[in-house]
Amino acid sequence: MTLFEREGSEVEALLTDRYLERVLARATGGEAAGPFDPLLNPILRDAAETLRRDLVRVHPSFRFEERLASRLADAAAALRMPAAAGAEGGVVSIGALSGASGRDDDAYLFDDDGELERRELSRPLLIGGALTSAALSLAGAAWVAWRTRPARRGSAMVRAARAVREARLAAAHVGRLD
Amino acid sequence: MARPVFGRVRPAGEAGSPRVTHLDRDRALVEEARRDPASFDALYRRYLAQVYSYAYYELGDHHEAEDATERTFLAALANLDRFEERARPADGEGASTFRVWLFRIARNVVANQRRGRRRHPQAPIEAAALVADPLDIEGGVATRDEAAAAWRAVGRLPADRRRAVVLRFVEEMSTAEIAGVLGRSEGAVRVLIHRALRTVARELGRSGRPR
Repeated sequence: MTLFEREGSEVEALLTDRYLERVLARATGGEAAGPFDPLLNPILRDAAETLRRDLVRVHPSFRFEERLASRLADAAAALRMPAAAGAEGGVVSIGALSGASGRDDDAYLFDDDGELERRELSRPLLIGGALTSAALSLAGAAWVAWRTRPARRGSAMVRAARAVREARLAAAHVGRLD
Repeated sequence: MARPVFGRVRPAGEAGSPRVTHLDRDRALVEEARRDPASFDALYRRYLAQVYSYAYYELGDHHEAEDATERTFLAALANLDRFEERARPADGEGASTFRVWLFRIARNVVANQRRGRRRHPQAPIEAAALVADPLDIEGGVATRDEAAAAWRAVGRLPADRRRAVVLRFVEEMSTAEIAGVLGRSEGAVRVLIHRALRTVARELGRSGRPR
């Protein structure tokens, strides 16, 4: 392709683009800005009209729409849970967010450079705040139990040995006083 | 159809008059969904048919299109905090960078699904039959034939041209939005669509069209 042909093609692409803007604006009820450019190849114009008419939007079934809405609601509820349980844990329950049909757990996103990035959605089903809280509660309960236990408790043998020892100490003390 | 436009008045510059910068038309819904994930439903309802339709044109199978749609919206919900609004005044009224972001997810979900697909794509004639008016029997046959020819012609296009055409004609995206979805320049998108139209015109001419 020569430079002249390439430039001609780019100009035609631009003309086509402007034409499509008008066609689609008209289709969505907007204003058609003036007459169509007579420079545009009529064959392209006809093809564009054909595609605009025949390439219709396909709607999913109502049942699918509601099923997915329900699934998204579950996922949204799971996303809200950490805030209620103590968001400081920062670990999100994403059980409901694993892929459709449970086949694949990855979501496909782009990073800031526009590169494809796989981001794991399947994470441990833990809520950090709740876990930390539970651990602290257990430790606290053990500490309280240890602090509040009766000072003098034990088996019969231990109690007997302790009584003998105390009696001996008392006797020695009395002897020293005498 | 008039679409809601959100704008922000910027302070007057050296030129004097204040300027209104158009913001993403989905800004309010996105912010609400970030505050309360349950509000994501509004964005879902707004874009469900578009995402599903895109997936269907790409995969040619209703079940696979449903799978791709589901993955797309679940990923979008889970990663909504990563979405950055990048609306520019040049994008014009009604532009949505959220829609571009959503379709980029959809594009990657679909690409991944195509790689691991097991089902055969549905023939264009079957797909066209689904969208024809079921009550208009006589006209429906003609419509189906014509639509099938158009679908076939689009289906034979190279992948990047087919995507550009679907985003342009089915999703009614602007050139700038398509460029954002496909990761190409606006000039490249114009050329893709132009070449696609030439090919489609040739194909339809061979089959006795365009009308």
